Formats: sequence, C-alpha cells, structure tokens
Amino acid sequence: MTNFYPVVALLGLAISLISVFRKSPFFNFIGIQITVYGLLKSAALIMPPLPGQVITMYMAMSVFAFLIYFSIQEETFRAFLEPMRAVLADRDKRILRVVLVFILIPLLAGYIAYAKTKPSFEPPVSARIVHPEPPQQIDFRGKTIKILGLENPLRKDTEKLKDYIEEGKKIYYQNCFFCHGDDLDGKGHFAQAFNPPPLPFRGTDTIAQLPESFVFWRIAKGWRGLPPGSAPWDSAMPAFEDFLSEEEIWKVILFIYEASGNKPRTWE
Amino acid sequence: MTVLILIVLGILLSPFNGFAQDDTGKRIYNQWCAQCHGYEGDGEGYAKEFTFPKPRDFSLGTFKFRTTPSGDPPTDEDIIRSIRNGNPGTSMPAWKRFSDEEVKALVEYIKEFAPDVFEFEPEPIKIENAPPATEEIIKKGKELFRVAKCVECHGQHGRGNGKKAWRDDFKDDWGYRIDPANYTYPWELRNGSSLKDIYRTITTGLSGTPMTSYQDSLSDEERWALAHFIKSLQVERRLGISLRLKKVESIPESTDDPQWESLDWLDLPMAGQIIFEPRHFTPTITNVRVRGLYTEDKVAIMLEWVDKKPNKGDDGMPPDGIRLQFPSKIPDGSERPYFYMGDRRHPVNLWVWNAADNLGKEYIAKGPDTVYSQQKQDVKAVGVYDDGLYRVIFVRSINTGDSEDIVFETGRFIPFAVTVYDGRLQEQGNKGVISAWYYIMLEPSTPLRVFVLPPAVSLMVFFAGFLLHKRLSRKADA
Ligand code: HEC
Ligand code: HEC
Repeated sequence: MTNFYPVVALLGLAISLISVFRKSPFFNFIGIQITVYGLLKSAALIMPPLPGQVITMYMAMSVFAFLIYFSIQEETFRAFLEPMRAVLADRDKRILRVVLVFILIPLLAGYIAYAKTKPSFEPPVSARIVHPEPPQQIDFRGKTIKILGLENPLRKDTEKLKDYIEEGKKIYYQNCFFCHGDDLDGKGHFAQAFNPPPLPFRGTDTIAQLPESFVFWRIAKGWRGLPPGSAPWDSAMPAFEDFLSEEEIWKVILFIYEASGNKPRTWE
Repeated sequence: MTVLILIVLGILLSPFNGFAQDDTGKRIYNQWCAQCHGYEGDGEGYAKEFTFPKPRDFSLGTFKFRTTPSGDPPTDEDIIRSIRNGNPGTSMPAWKRFSDEEVKALVEYIKEFAPDVFEFEPEPIKIENAPPATEEIIKKGKELFRVAKCVECHGQHGRGNGKKAWRDDFKDDWGYRIDPANYTYPWELRNGSSLKDIYRTITTGLSGTPMTSYQDSLSDEERWALAHFIKSLQVERRLGISLRLKKVESIPESTDDPQWESLDWLDLPMAGQIIFEPRHFTPTITNVRVRGLYTEDKVAIMLEWVDKKPNKGDDGMPPDGIRLQFPSKIPDGSERPYFYMGDRRHPVNLWVWNAADNLGKEYIAKGPDTVYSQQKQDVKAVGVYDDGLYRVIFVRSINTGDSEDIVFETGRFIPFAVTVYDGRLQEQGNKGVISAWYYIMLEPSTPLRVFVLPPAVSLMVFFAGFLLHKRLSRKADA
C-alpha cells in the first residue's frame, strides 16, 4: 500500500507542472498539495510511518504557506481564484456547478461532520518494552545471583559443552517449544493463544542483543520479574525458577543460542 | 585439462559423494526432528509425553498422510507435503526454512528407518475432476455421511463426537488414545482442510488409525460429495482483541435462540495452562467462541466450544466446565490483574459453570491458589451440550452494588479471559485450557447529534454555495 504513495506524489507533480505551463495557479496549488501529501505518506518507506496527526499538521502548514504565496501578487491571486469563480458563476458551467457545488461538496461536508461526531471506540493499546533493564541481582530460590557482569558458567567447560547443549535441547522440548516453537521462531502450537506473542530466538533482534545473564533473569523470573513498563500482567512467560534448577536454565540457554545460530553479547 | 576432468569425475563418482548426501539428511534430522521423532526414528523423542497426538514412530513404516492406497507406503511427495505443510492441530510444524534438496535428503533418511516398507514402489491415486460445490452435492454428501456410518465416529454435525469413539479402547495402532476429527474447525485438520485434502483423506484413509480408506467401498463421485459436505461444515474463525455488545430489549433465555446466531462473535485460540503447577501440555480444546449482549440492567455472555465427549462428573472424571474472568474493577491505566487468575493486589471475578450442577457460581481470585466463593451470588448460568457443542450463557446485573464485583460501564473496554475444562482429560482447578486477556465493550446507543449534525452541515454548505453563486453571477451580468 505504501508503494502507491510515491505514484501519488509524482501525479501531483505532473498536475503542478502542466498547470504552470497552462498558467493556472489554482491547479498548480492542487498539484503541489497532492505532491506534499504523497511525499509525507511515502516517508513510511524509509522510516516508521508518520502519525495521522503529524500529517494533518504538515498539510495545514503547506496549504497555508502556498495560499500566502499565491496571494502575494494581485494578478496571480485573481488567476488563482478564477476557476472557483467560473464554477460558481459562468452560465456554460451549469452542469459542473450543480454536480460540484450543489451536490458533491455539501455531501462531503456532511460526511466529514458525520465522521467527526460519530463516537469512536478503540480498545486501549499498551506500548510495552520488550527488553527491559534487568535488576542488578536476583534471588534464586534463596540464593543471591548477581546479574550484571555474570557469564554462563557452563561455557568454560568446553569438554562437556556438547553434552550440556544436548541436555539443554531436552529441557527446551519439554518446557519451551509449545510457545517459542520447534524451530525457535516463536511459532509454537500454543503461541497463538497468548498476547503478547512468545519471542522468537531466531533472527538478530532478540537474544542476539542480550548477554546470557539477561536471558537467565528472564527465564528464571518470567512474567513475575517484569517491570510495569513491560506489562507483566499480560505475559505468559512462566517463572522457571519454579520448575528448573540454576544449571538447567544455563543449559537451555546454551541450547537456544546454539540452535538459533546466535552469539550472546559479551560484557565489554 | 585432463587432470581437471579426472578430478571432477573422481568427485562425482566417488562413494564419498553419496556419503555426503546421506549425511545431510541425518544431520538435519538429528538436529531438528529427533527431539520428537526420536534419534532412532522410533517416536521416543524428548517431547513425546508433552504433545498430543504423539510424534510419529517411523520405525513401523506406517504413515497416516498419503496419496497411496491403504497399506502402501507414502510417495516421496507425501512425506515432503507433511514436512512442508506440517500437520495442523498437532505440534508438527511446517518446515519452510530448509531447501528442497535438504527436504529430499530428510525424506531419504526417514525412509531408512523402515527400509523394507519402502522397497515397494507405490502407485498414487489421482485427484482430479473435482465437481463444483452445489446444494445438491452437499445434500448428497450429508446423506452418505449417515449411510456410510461416518456419523458413528464423527457425530451428526461432524464435531468428532461420535459415540463409537467414547470407548476406552478407541486407540491407534501405536496404542495411544485418538479422537475422530472435528470438521467444523479447519485449523485442526492434520491432513489439510481444503476440498482436495479432505477428498484425499477419505480416499486413502489414515493408516494406523480407525480412519480407514473408503477407496473401495465408495465411488469417486460419492467421495467428492462427502468432501463437499465436510467442507461446508467449516466455521469462519474471527480472531481479534475485542467484542462489542449491542443493547437489546430482553436477553434470549435459551441457548438455541436464533438471536444469538445474529450476533457478531470473537474466537479465542486456547492453550494449556503451563505457567503454574500442574502444567497442562496436552489439551484438545483449541477454541472458545464468545458472543454477548446487554439490556438496561443486565449483561449476558454466551460461550461456545466443541467437546467430543460430555462429562457430567458422574463417571469418576471431573465434570466439563468453563470459567469467565473479569478484573474486579475496570483498570484505569494499562495496569491490570495477571491474565490468569489475577494477583494479590489485583483481584479478579470468576464466573464458573460446570456440567454437573448446571448453575452459575461467583468467586474472587487473587492468584492461582487464592480463590474464595463470594457471599452474595449474583451470576446465573445455564448450559446445554448438543451434538458435540457446549453453549453456556452467563447473566449478571450490570451493577450488583457489591464492591468486589465489576461494574459494566458502557463505552469502556473491559478485559476478560476464559478457562475451559474437559473432564475426560482430568482437567480441573489449575489444570485447564486458558486464553489471553481480550476485551468486551458495551456499545452505547448512538447520540442524537450524529443524526442531526451532518445533514445540517450539508444544508449550510449547500446554501453558502448557492448564495455565492447568486452574488457572483449578478456581478458577472452587471
Ligand atoms: C515438536 C515435535 C515435532 C518435531 C520437531 C517434528 N515433528 Fe514430525 N510430527 C510430529 C507429530 C506430533 C506428528 C504426528 C501428527 C499426527 O499424528 O497427526 C508428526 C508427523 C510427521 C510426519 C507425518 C507422518 C505420517 O504419518 O504421514 C512426517 C513425515 C514428519 N512428522 C516429519 C518430520 C520431520 C522431517 C521433522 C524435522 C524436520 C519433524 N517431523 C519434526 C511432531 C514433530
Ligand atoms: C471408526 C471411526 C471412524 C469412522 C467410521 C470414520 N472416521 Fe474419519 N476419522 C476417524 C479418526 C479417529 C480420525 C482422526 C485421525 C487422526 O487424528 O489422525 C478421523 C479423521 C477424519 C478426517 C480428517 C483428517 C484430518 O485431516 O485431520 C476426515 C476428513 C474424515 N475422518 C472423514 C471421514 C469420513 C468421510 C468418514 C465416512 C465415510 C469417516 N471419516 C469415517 C475415525 C473415523
């Protein structure tokens, strides 16, 4: 859909250029406004889409600015007003007048009034922070674990690493895959039932961004550990300190990095 | 030059090449399939006890999903289809990430678990000349559905609730419990839910299950008619986050009142409760449908779901039931109770119905293990089980005056969640099937100004145009 807006902008530009040749400031003005609108909407191609209110504001500014521009010289301004006057007054424009001035414009105004007065109800949207700051330290079944600066203790044991990953695999397919997916893509067979949806581990924007100790905290504390900005009340992520030991959590972490082909972020 | 050709030839012909190919299949299988289907292909993977149906044991060489006659092995394309499309309604996902070569290598590796079965070159059936859907053909299919005794397992309306499947010995060849398919939910059809998929299922059957092949006992035409009938039963699933309730004069009391059918609905995908013990990994209820309306002083919600066997709590199993949850008061900001059973600081109202006593009960919960019955009981509920489908209506006053009860203010989005129980699977308490938070909103009646203002504006603009026209044309004439 956004691909269609650059075309709108080009169309506006064409109208504007033709109008310059035909010396019709009114249609030039219309063309310019279409171009501006098309460009503002096209911005969505290279950045997050501009909110409706921002677009309305820019459009109002553009209309205002070009109205001033076209009204500086009296001659241009008269030419600018000419099409409007012609539609309203000229005998040979009767049909156009009836259609445009007496039917379409009143209807459009009525519709705008309807759209503005009709009460609209939208369910609340909660913006949530997906990767909140972890606490400095957590209490894991009575043991204090410092999160900042912590590394996965099993990673050093290179000899047994393969076994740990295999054990992590078993833990994953008995505790996690329902939601996070057989393929770690966040599309497990339970995923659809939960909102927010379970995170995928594949790709570069989830665990690839985090040190392993953050991941440990998220697994151990689950929904209960989330700050209010992350809407803990909606999260189905269990607090796995209820079900898994410290070592089991480190093992499943080894597995999800290995299986998703990601590397944990290190402490610089 | 010749040296180069020799080297290339050497590589092509070397046994090493074949070995490398074998390795691809085994490598991917061990990494991505073995956790379910087992490293030996025997279905003894890590996830075995954690999914229903259980992952396939390939060592018997029995394959459910085929285009080949009953008893024959599947074609390579059949296995590829299962891998690429997955089996909807099971934990077997659709694997899109692998290349075609990798999938082929997987197929070869899977076949090695039962080599003698695959020695035989199977002849796939042809799926062609699908007749168009007409009322006649659907009617004919419906008739055949009864005559060919599909109803015995699948139920009158195809919800998988036939009495034959209620027996304890209704099992598959691997010795596990199995349920006849519920056709009304296309997202549960393992072999696919298109017309051709259904025709294929009926024609070749699903080996290893009570669902046998009808290739010999029914004509091609009859099987297409059945497929059309089954296709016609599929419901439209409406997913979303909110449901608007309309105001009416009075609440229809019976669950089969046509007024319910005329309302908009919201479908909630359901999942096992796996956040607190006892965790429930293998539920079979996948959907709860919600409808609702309200009057001057009452609000009514109807919940609807498929349960293949009714349990009234008189057979040693817990009764089937359902529970509707609201926060005790409408949250002001975004903060609200925990979506499953609330929490200490944010209590929730629970409206509970079960098939044993068929009435509504009201509880307050402050977490999964803190639930107490309310002094004043304000909720009425009535439920009916009809041909595989439960329908339960809850009714309560908009405002009960009880400070612990939610007040249903019009125009506000009010969170709600659902937990449903299938007694047959020992579901009760925290072992249930749960939904996320959704919203209902009691839609206020449209204010008068919406009907008055727009025509007034139109008229004004019309007259403004008219006056301008008069003035300008006079000027032009002058
Ligand atoms: C999370 C568990 C899981 C994983 C991982 C998994 N499967 Fe499955 N698979 C299943 C289940 C469960 C079924 C059976 C569905 C049924 O019985 O209706 C199944 C069925 C199949 C079938 C259909 C067999 C038949 O009877 O026709 C094939 C083929 C298959 N899987 C291949 C694979 C391959 C190849 C992989 C790896 C790329 C894989 N599966 C990974 C769970 C899994
Ligand atoms: C003896 C019991 C029984 C009878 C009779 C029976 N079925 Fe089935 N059917 C089943 C079972 C069990 C399944 C589910 C198999 C599974 O989940 O693997 C099933 C599944 C199906 C499916 C869906 C497969 C899928 O993709 O999930 C269709 C379609 C179907 N049956 C059609 C029919 C038709 C048509 C008839 C009558 C001509 C019929 N069945 C008769 C037991 C039966």
